[in-house]
Amino acid sequence: MSDSATSYPVGTAAAAGLAVCHICHKLAPESHHECPRCGAAMHLRATDSLQRTLALAFTACVLYIPANILPIMTTTQLGTPEPSTIIGGVVLLINLGSYPVAAVIFIASVMVPSGKLLAIFWLCWGVSRGQKTSFQQRTVMYRVTEFIGKWSMVDVFVVAILVALIQLGGLLSINAGPAAIAFGGVVIVTMLSAESFDSRLIWDQYHGGAEPDRPTAAAGSPEQGEAG
Amino acid sequence: MLTAPLRLGCIECDLLVSVSPLGPGERARCPRCSHLLTENVDEGFQRSLAFLVAAAVLLVLSLCFPFLSLAESGLEQVMTLPGSARELWNGGYPEVAILVMGPIIGIPGMMLVGLAALLLRLLRGVEADWLVPLGRVLFFLSPWSMVEVFVIGVIVSLVKIAAMAHVVLGISFWAYCAFALCYIAAFTNIDRVQLWERIEELTP
Repeated sequence: MSDSATSYPVGTAAAAGLAVCHICHKLAPESHHECPRCGAAMHLRATDSLQRTLALAFTACVLYIPANILPIMTTTQLGTPEPSTIIGGVVLLINLGSYPVAAVIFIASVMVPSGKLLAIFWLCWGVSRGQKTSFQQRTVMYRVTEFIGKWSMVDVFVVAILVALIQLGGLLSINAGPAAIAFGGVVIVTMLSAESFDSRLIWDQYHGGAEPDRPTAAAGSPEQGEAG
Repeated sequence: MLTAPLRLGCIECDLLVSVSPLGPGERARCPRCSHLLTENVDEGFQRSLAFLVAAAVLLVLSLCFPFLSLAESGLEQVMTLPGSARELWNGGYPEVAILVMGPIIGIPGMMLVGLAALLLRLLRGVEADWLVPLGRVLFFLSPWSMVEVFVIGVIVSLVKIAAMAHVVLGISFWAYCAFALCYIAAFTNIDRVQLWERIEELTP
């Protein structure tokens, strides 16, 4: 990332030497270093955004291994403990015929975390090689990634409820497994990773022209011409 | 709330945008990436406060009564929300207890009280020096509340258990679902930019 304001596209806050506070969205000269309104640190772009995002994404990948191979819960029926993994639980539900629940667990525990990580890697890759296309699509992808992150916690919550509810002594009881912690870790670390990604980096390669000019609602209007 | 045009930088694409004063119910979107910049929610603070009061009552209710109960072969098991935290904690998984209870009760509870205190002060229009730090804490915590995710988690668990035993939904379950709705409604009535403009006005 360049430090000089002149390298940012015309019409952006950064090109005018202005930074947007990430807490209160106040626009203020970057030379302040601290938001004049709320006191949070201010930068034109998030500090080391790509490095932090990637470091956290790799951490999540590492945690994802124990989350999938260790048991997420252990069902003890008539004294026989039977540990089950996330995938094992999905397979069991399919065998029992509970397709909707199997789908929810599969989407929340397998597709969302892995899809989210892939999206983060793809976004970082696009920024690092200076991709000059599909700005709008990548922004939408970032929004989706940020929005769906916490939905992966569904599986951890399900385990917590089953553990709390099903304690019928020797007849039937359910206990949490170590994968619950690892999986919770995956969710938290991927959320932090998505939060570290600065979507403005996508638009730093945008110098007008390539994007279709879309009409806007209400009172928002660009202060300067969008053409670079 | 706003009288002069407001200069904003889009937080998602960094476009400099000048937003003229918005009428009630009007929204301003970024002309480039279509991110919602700011929104003038009609009587947003009052509405939000009303939902917060309702959410607070419902959250307390949901902590006091049985959440789910289970009957199987003459044995009965009643689960309450504080009880499930205890179960996880004593079962050797205090981390899971924190991981679950934090995002569904602890953080939403703190945000509820914090936002209510903030809004009461903003609506009364009395200056205070604690508005800024409180606002920062609220926006720091906001991504970590997962009430709606928990509701889906409960529904998934119900379907899972239904195959094994007969489950009865308790008062707390309904209270928590209603709490989740009120809590989300309270926060959708708050616009970040408008809230901070008002905080700035009332910071000495």
